[in-house]
Amino acid sequence: MKDPDSEAQLPLPSLAPESGAQIIQLPARAKDLSREQSPSAAASKESIKPIAKRTRSNSLWYALYLPQLKEEESAQQKKYLDQLAELMQSVSSTVSFHPQALICEVRSSLKYFSGIDVIHQKLQKLIVEQLQQWNLADSFSYAASPTISGSLLLARSGHNALVHRQENLRSALGQLSTDVLDLNKEQRRRLHNMGIRYLRDIWRLPSDGLCKRFGSSFVNQLNRALGKAAEPTHNYVPPPTFVASYDLPYELENLDRLLPIADELLAQVCDFLRRRDLSTSSLIFSLSHEKRDSTEVSIGLRVASRSQQHLMLLLETHFDKLSIPAPVVAIKVEVKRLDAFFAKSDSLLKEEASGSASYSDRNLIQFMEQLQARLGENHVKSVSNAAQHCPEDASLQLDYSEKPSRGGRTIMPAEATANPRPLWLLQEPKQLNINKGRLFHRKPIAIVSGPERIETHWWSGVDVCRDYYIAREHSGSRLWIYREKNGKKNWYLHGFFA
Amino acid sequence: MTIIQNHSDTQLPYQNQYQSVQADAFHGAGSSDIDELIQGNPKLWRGCDMAGQGMHGRSTGFPQLDAILPGRGWPEKGLMEVITPHWGMGELQLLIPLMRSIVEQGKWILWISPPYLLYAPALVQAGINTDQVLVVKLDTSCKDALWSMEKALQTENCGLVLAWQNWLPTKVLRRLQLAADTGDTLGVLFKHHDSEHSPSPIRLKIQDSYSENVSFNESEVTVIKARGNFRSLSANINLYQQA
Repeated sequence: MKDPDSEAQLPLPSLAPESGAQIIQLPARAKDLSREQSPSAAASKESIKPIAKRTRSNSLWYALYLPQLKEEESAQQKKYLDQLAELMQSVSSTVSFHPQALICEVRSSLKYFSGIDVIHQKLQKLIVEQLQQWNLADSFSYAASPTISGSLLLARSGHNALVHRQENLRSALGQLSTDVLDLNKEQRRRLHNMGIRYLRDIWRLPSDGLCKRFGSSFVNQLNRALGKAAEPTHNYVPPPTFVASYDLPYELENLDRLLPIADELLAQVCDFLRRRDLSTSSLIFSLSHEKRDSTEVSIGLRVASRSQQHLMLLLETHFDKLSIPAPVVAIKVEVKRLDAFFAKSDSLLKEEASGSASYSDRNLIQFMEQLQARLGENHVKSVSNAAQHCPEDASLQLDYSEKPSRGGRTIMPAEATANPRPLWLLQEPKQLNINKGRLFHRKPIAIVSGPERIETHWWSGVDVCRDYYIAREHSGSRLWIYREKNGKKNWYLHGFFA
Repeated sequence: MTIIQNHSDTQLPYQNQYQSVQADAFHGAGSSDIDELIQGNPKLWRGCDMAGQGMHGRSTGFPQLDAILPGRGWPEKGLMEVITPHWGMGELQLLIPLMRSIVEQGKWILWISPPYLLYAPALVQAGINTDQVLVVKLDTSCKDALWSMEKALQTENCGLVLAWQNWLPTKVLRRLQLAADTGDTLGVLFKHHDSEHSPSPIRLKIQDSYSENVSFNESEVTVIKARGNFRSLSANINLYQQA
């Protein structure tokens, strides 16, 4: 994943003398240097030259060109290339992306794999398998040369060539048709009109003139292919993953004993997150048992965090409820999701309750997560009122997670709120008896005020048509009762004013 | 100290333990200079006059109840028991002003296993923002409910935790009391039966008020125990002011 040029910071004295010459010949650089010929620049030239040279001439780039990807959408292409890049990581640590092509540096792994042929066979097998899995054509062209652009051009031409030395690049590329170059229509037409069919025709032309006719990017493209100009690349960086495990020296049955070990693992997780400036919202702990499937504890967070203390608290809560089928022999933690970390800055002055809303919100979220971890997702509800005439529908019990955001609350129309409503509502209305001509619940009931007619849902077949009264039980409690308008005209208790 | 005794002996009927004392009676009697002098000195403790002990509680919203509670209102933190023979005797009306002030502070109210459905329109009518109300469902096991209560009491974001639990051992109550102290939170336990040895600092009871008269609105609220108070006092309060 390191850029080859940054790698070049390593001083390699043994290679330095023979490599000094070529870099000066680079036209662009030579010009730069002549412009500022200060003594310090001259001194730094001495130290920089050999290093840059070394990477350029000593690397071998293996290019892989997949023309079949051209038809795919760009997002899909990227996905395919990402996965192929992951495969290519098995032979090289430097993999870079190009349109429909991947390029990796293989010089450093030549010795390990004992030759480019082995590397090629290994890659071919992996890539063909993968392409077949995607139902894509399993053919691709490849090439290897000391420059990235050179390899790319060779691969695009379908030559499957191998060029070991930079000196040979000029002749190898010379055979290629000009079609392999990245050119626009106008440039292509002009080249054709000039009678240029192959790259070797271009080699014969002076670069100043080419620069004028085709622009500097065209010349740069050729220079890069010949190893005369630097080749910046977009390298593949594998997404960060974290898995850590610990094998216990002896079996553990008591989960409390496991907590210090889990704490250690969490410390590693948080360290990992802190170094990459990430946070996590999903973790999985798996506890392995002898001869049994491992127990998995999944920790989900509403707001991504990297606080060891908070994660530990959640884990403890999960462990409280967990029963394990067998003693634990190993524990493993895996970070399932990584999120960006958003830091909150502390206020300079310690503010009182009104100012520290964000802090207390975070506290509350932590508390809610703990509550949900223990009680289960749907045991914690928030209430919300809805603009409905039917009393049962006017209050909603929502899961905490599906709670509408602040401000988006439905506000009841004013005329509906004018009549008093009870704090408690019975799950099902309870039928009231009539005893000696008086309504009776636990004790006789006397009506205080009413009626309030509620008629709704006539369109749905189960129409609601009730006369609501506020009544007082002889024990002192206030009841919300109603009488059906239709049918048997029974009395029901529907709520308490509590 | 002698002044107080003299004053109390002559003016205040505190010897009678069972007499229900109207708070207004104190103010009516104490208009003399001596009374003013005593009321003005916060360092003096007067056994039966709760109103005279400064203002460090949160007003209950019912002046008659403020008068018989130490600190003239609900405590800022701790555990409180409200005993009613049935659910729905006005125990929530008693706490509505408190809930409103807690929501205004930006804190949350947690209802742990309430016996019936909490009805949102009524909360809105009472001026309580439903966004700051959370309910733990009734079918939660007792152990989990107590666990939630302890955690909620320890959390500073919860201003009030209401729980419906009938029988709780003293040990559990002590633990909840500690949790409430750490979180600066007020916990309210609703019960059907009073237990004499409960360690909760405040125990209130709403009595059955037998009356045939429909227009009779007042319920009798008795402070069975309150830390700083040495006998039970009661007041008649119209709990259904809003209703």
